[in-house]
Amino acid sequence: MVELQNVSVTYSSGVDALNNVSLKINDGDFAFVVGSSGAGKSTMIKLLLKEIDATSGVVTVNGYNLGKLKKRKIPEFRRTLGFVFQDFRLIPSMTVYENIAFVLRVIDAPLKYIRKRVPYVISLVGLHSKTNSYPDELSGGEKQRVAIARALVNDPQLIIADEPTGNIDPELSYEIVELLKGINDQGTTILMVTHEHDLVRHFGGRIINITGGEIVFDEVISGVDEVLPEEELAQAMAEASSVSNTGNIILPDQRIMTPNGEYADADRNGGAE
Amino acid sequence: MKISGFKYLANQGIENIWKNKMMAFATFCVLLISLLLVGGSALFYYNMNSMILGLGNQNEIAVYLNPSTETLRVQQIQAQLENMDNISSVEYISKEEAYNRMQNQIQQGKAIFDYIDSYEFMPDGFKVTVVSNDLIEDTTAQIGSIEEVQSASSSPQVAEFLRELRRVVSIIAIAVIIALSAVSMIMISNTTKASVFARREEIQIMKYVGATNAFIRTPFFVEGMVTGFFAGAGAFFITWAVYRAIFRILMDQGTLVRAFGVGSIIPFDKIQLWVALAYLIVGSLVGALGSVISTRRHIDV
Repeated sequence: MVELQNVSVTYSSGVDALNNVSLKINDGDFAFVVGSSGAGKSTMIKLLLKEIDATSGVVTVNGYNLGKLKKRKIPEFRRTLGFVFQDFRLIPSMTVYENIAFVLRVIDAPLKYIRKRVPYVISLVGLHSKTNSYPDELSGGEKQRVAIARALVNDPQLIIADEPTGNIDPELSYEIVELLKGINDQGTTILMVTHEHDLVRHFGGRIINITGGEIVFDEVISGVDEVLPEEELAQAMAEASSVSNTGNIILPDQRIMTPNGEYADADRNGGAE
Repeated sequence: MKISGFKYLANQGIENIWKNKMMAFATFCVLLISLLLVGGSALFYYNMNSMILGLGNQNEIAVYLNPSTETLRVQQIQAQLENMDNISSVEYISKEEAYNRMQNQIQQGKAIFDYIDSYEFMPDGFKVTVVSNDLIEDTTAQIGSIEEVQSASSSPQVAEFLRELRRVVSIIAIAVIIALSAVSMIMISNTTKASVFARREEIQIMKYVGATNAFIRTPFFVEGMVTGFFAGAGAFFITWAVYRAIFRILMDQGTLVRAFGVGSIIPFDKIQLWVALAYLIVGSLVGALGSVISTRRHIDV
């Protein structure tokens, strides 16, 4: 579980990166975090990884109060997380197997378990034939699958994926999100940061929009692609109760509309239409 | 950490040397040069010191007895000298030997000896070598106070000069060794920093997946230690070859050897064990610590 209570982050330069943010992501949830660059997404991820501390407020991840977490306890905390980077961050001198097994080495897992668990996770991401390949022998999509397998191998409660589709072909992006959705179906909480609205619209689910260091939108939407007629768009613009930095419009009936006039229905009660 | 875990990390350290062979080679070379610079200076100082001490040992006290001293008494005085503190050796020079030496020394006026029919007027004497030049004045005075000793003379100025020489050489040598050590530490630190910097992302990944600092540092420690050990071994063999070559050249110089105390240069066989141990231990330690300290900058994520 992830919980932010009235969290603010002000950097030493005086920049307010997050401003009184409150958020709760329950176990088993899948949430997209969207927002333009500089909106505060990266700061939020740094907070959740305990890379930085909040200036004020309480951050709780997987039962750890990060503000009170001692430095020597950080490795223990991070072992409850899986992390997927935009640029994969695989160790180039290690094979696919070694990159994944490495995480279990870190927690001093028995060799027998490592030998059983790693091939299983590799097969889950469909890379069995690449077990002994090195990262530079893999495509972008394959590298990201290895990164997901690495995040998964430790059976974490929460996986944080920071722009996991940012460095791969658009058609492969859907595969990656589907893979993460599959992992989520098994009960792992997934928090995926992305700026690809097509993906968000396609898959739907909980969308958290951070703009200017504040959460301007936090709803569950369906994954239906629709296009509004021209006149309806104009009317909606006029009636819009808020406009985010990305140009998305939150309509009075809580639907989101993109600048292209496409929209997806929102459901405050958590159910997709 | 389990033993299997440590074995894994140690293996990782050794594998890393091969995987990052260019950086490992750079570290090896820098460590090797640093060890040779500092080790060579230390050996040079050690030998200079030994040579000066060797020169000092040639500083003697010339002791002359009254010509009328009887043989039995001469023997007693010799025994007395041998039992004194700070005496290294006592060589008896008889009246006859002293007479012969004098004849050899005065070549031009040799005719004068035609008028002398006996060496009985010559005094018996001793050539006394001291243990410590620093105490030569006291020892000379002590010998001079013995009855029947006509004169006991030494050259305390020589002892004083050698003492001063040793002091100056020591200061210069220690300063040079400290300066070279400092330069070496900077070179080693920069090389290990570059080596670790090349792998900073690897370190960050380790941190994100929950690796402890010890887990991250152990392979770097092993890697640095093994590289340092081989640099130490390399430095030893180079020192061995160069030292023996220089030793042979100097020892072939004959009379020069005695004149400048070169005879006091220490043969490598006598110090090789200590030199090897020093190189290997210092090489391993500096390699390991340099590597581990350099990880500190990248480990705080």
